[in-house]
Amino acid sequence: MSFSNGLSYIVFITGTFKFVTSVCVTGNGFIHCLCSSVLGASQLCNFRVSEAMSSSFPVLPTTVDERHPNLLFSFQVSLEREMMRNPASQQASSLSPGSRSVGPMLSSSSRFSNDTHVSSVSAQGRQSHNSPFISQSLRNKEDFTPTHDSRSEVQSTEFIAYSDENKDLSWSVDSLLDFAENAPAQISQVESSAGVFASEDHANRTDWQEWADQLISADDDLEPNWSEILNDVNKTDSRQKELKPSPNISVQQPPIHQHQTAHSGEVCAVANPLSPAPPTKPRMRWTPELHEAFVEAVSQLGGSERATPKGVLKLMNVESLTIYHVKSHLQLVSSFLNFRSTELLDINQTHLLVTLTDFPFFSDIMQFTKHNCVFSGTSEKKMSPIEEIKSLDLKASMGITEALRLQMEVQKRLHEQLEIQRNLQLRIEEQGRYLQEMFEKQRKREDDKSKAPPSSLDDPSLLQAKLEQSSTNNKLEASELDIVKTSNESALLEESSPSISRKQKAPEERNDQVLDQIEEVSSPEPTKRPRRDESAELSTGAASN
Amino acid sequence: MKFGKRLKNQVQETLPDWRDKYLSYKELKKLVRLISSAPPFSYGSTEYGNAEAEFVRLLNSEIDKFNTFFMEQEEDFIIRHEELKQRIQKVIDTLGPSGSQPSEAAYKDEMRKIRKNIVNFHGEMVLLENYSNINYTGLAKILKKYDKRTGGLLRLPFIQKVLEQPFFITDLVSKLVKQCEYMIDTIFPVEEEEIMKERRESITVAGEGIFRNTIAALMTMQEIRRGSSTHSHFSLPPLNLPDSDLIQSFQLNSPIPIV
Repeated sequence: MSFSNGLSYIVFITGTFKFVTSVCVTGNGFIHCLCSSVLGASQLCNFRVSEAMSSSFPVLPTTVDERHPNLLFSFQVSLEREMMRNPASQQASSLSPGSRSVGPMLSSSSRFSNDTHVSSVSAQGRQSHNSPFISQSLRNKEDFTPTHDSRSEVQSTEFIAYSDENKDLSWSVDSLLDFAENAPAQISQVESSAGVFASEDHANRTDWQEWADQLISADDDLEPNWSEILNDVNKTDSRQKELKPSPNISVQQPPIHQHQTAHSGEVCAVANPLSPAPPTKPRMRWTPELHEAFVEAVSQLGGSERATPKGVLKLMNVESLTIYHVKSHLQLVSSFLNFRSTELLDINQTHLLVTLTDFPFFSDIMQFTKHNCVFSGTSEKKMSPIEEIKSLDLKASMGITEALRLQMEVQKRLHEQLEIQRNLQLRIEEQGRYLQEMFEKQRKREDDKSKAPPSSLDDPSLLQAKLEQSSTNNKLEASELDIVKTSNESALLEESSPSISRKQKAPEERNDQVLDQIEEVSSPEPTKRPRRDESAELSTGAASN
Repeated sequence: MKFGKRLKNQVQETLPDWRDKYLSYKELKKLVRLISSAPPFSYGSTEYGNAEAEFVRLLNSEIDKFNTFFMEQEEDFIIRHEELKQRIQKVIDTLGPSGSQPSEAAYKDEMRKIRKNIVNFHGEMVLLENYSNINYTGLAKILKKYDKRTGGLLRLPFIQKVLEQPFFITDLVSKLVKQCEYMIDTIFPVEEEEIMKERRESITVAGEGIFRNTIAALMTMQEIRRGSSTHSHFSLPPLNLPDSDLIQSFQLNSPIPIV
């Protein structure tokens, strides 16, 4: 079933308003991809996957986040390799029941690491990589040489790392240990794509290799080169831009083959787009120029009915734009765009009331919203009355069906995001709890050890124990009062918290399982000294949090 | 105060019935301030202990509030969901092509209404999820503040409790949401002619401000997660909505007179 048809469609010609036909989404992929993204994004792997969707998940979710595809890809495979290389490789099989959920979890970890400075990797004395590199190496799996492996290990470290580079390695340990978690995890948006959804579909899939294969063999377009720099510069650019484009973007010229200039505009918007291999944190933004190109492309392809995402993508010819971006954008835009030339509309109720003979283009609306500083998030410039009038409630300009569809779209997005956010929050807290427990276990071990005669200082575990002890002492000194307070607090908690915890057992059990398996995995780790040190620091940090 | 402000905006934009059901973030903040300015516990003053007790008391009562409201809404949703299904079935059975009194016009009319209802219903449920989440976020933040200000260790255990609270467990609602989506997709395959012929009607902005609220929620979420100075490994990564500009453009401006 097609998502939306018969919507009016705009051809953007600079400076003039004109409508032609509709942009709309054709093909069966879209709803499916939407819903599958929603499904995927939630914990509901069990929830009627097959019921809701056709069994194949050919396309990707609407929201696109290209830094993730690569992270996920590389992360998964690199972790997979890690697992296989580990002496505790038997863990792989024991963990495999959870493997279904691991990928998504990894992606969530990788989401965590979004703010990571890639430089933290180099700080660890290894070469820093952009994710595209890794995913490329993933493409040719057979090329995955040992050197790649070591790098991929770095990658996994990097991806899990946080801005504090000291924590990098320890977090990577934690994330590795996350495999153990049986809780279904969210899938971060785009990237996982067909592979992950397929694996969701086949809940029994336990083979890492197969899964990685799927991901790799999935659409090859997952290779954006947007750098964080590009994004940031775009942001600042647009702040300065106001009505007219930044001087770098020579786009607003005659109409027709804008996509070329838009392309260069996009890239030019960055001082040094891709030259000094900037840390890749690609972030997709549909700037007005890009959107113009998009609209242009769709119109050239003969309108909504005939334009395929692939065709649009090709026509736009924008480097590092993937088909998923296009699909996703097409979907949202199609619910959004619906024009008939001279309709007058009344919008009653509390909001806008506008009647116009001309409807501004979408990109004009982007301009207007730029005035409201969509990009920068702050209001910089007041709109002139004309502009205000033109900036209408677009939803109201549509037919009911389209309006509903748009509403549905947005709601779906919100739902998706909420699920992801919620899962992240859960994971954060579980991590925190785990660390706390580890910390306490260490302390216990330390207490036990202090009874035995101290061995040589070279003993790594003792060294770590000492580290722990010093930090513990600090903590104790600083918070002697806390002990009293805490006990009071917990007393208060116990007695005055009448909250009904419905599903109390489930999460607790799950957590226990997590801990058990974490124990299993952590034991073959004693050789990895640096990590343990960092984990000590980290748990200190967490405990004092 | 950023979160507080955002929360306030959310509450303003939210469905009217829900306004007083959100976290009393400001109140809690005041209490934390009170606690941190009160003389230390060990000196035997009761002020500190009282303030603290009050804080915890308020936290718990807030949680109760959330739970009650949430579960109420959940039940309501379940009922509405059933009703919706029955209604659809009924329409199909009577007015549908193979029904007892087939009537295309009436059928389409009813279906249109149903569609609107489904979408709004879906929206409300998603907004409940948002409600749950934003309250959780607020709790996490205020607990962090508390720990920071008072050097206490309340946060970790407390938040673990919160995670188990009914209001945070949104599985059921999520399931209903998915079912709604499924419903919409199967019942309303798009027909081109229908859309072509469809007349423009005056559109009320998605019933009872749901659409508006949804947009606000998305924007708020994005704002909240925009990297902050206190970003730590407990923080959520920034939200990445590639279409956020577009979505934000849906935000409605103040009323403007007819031209």
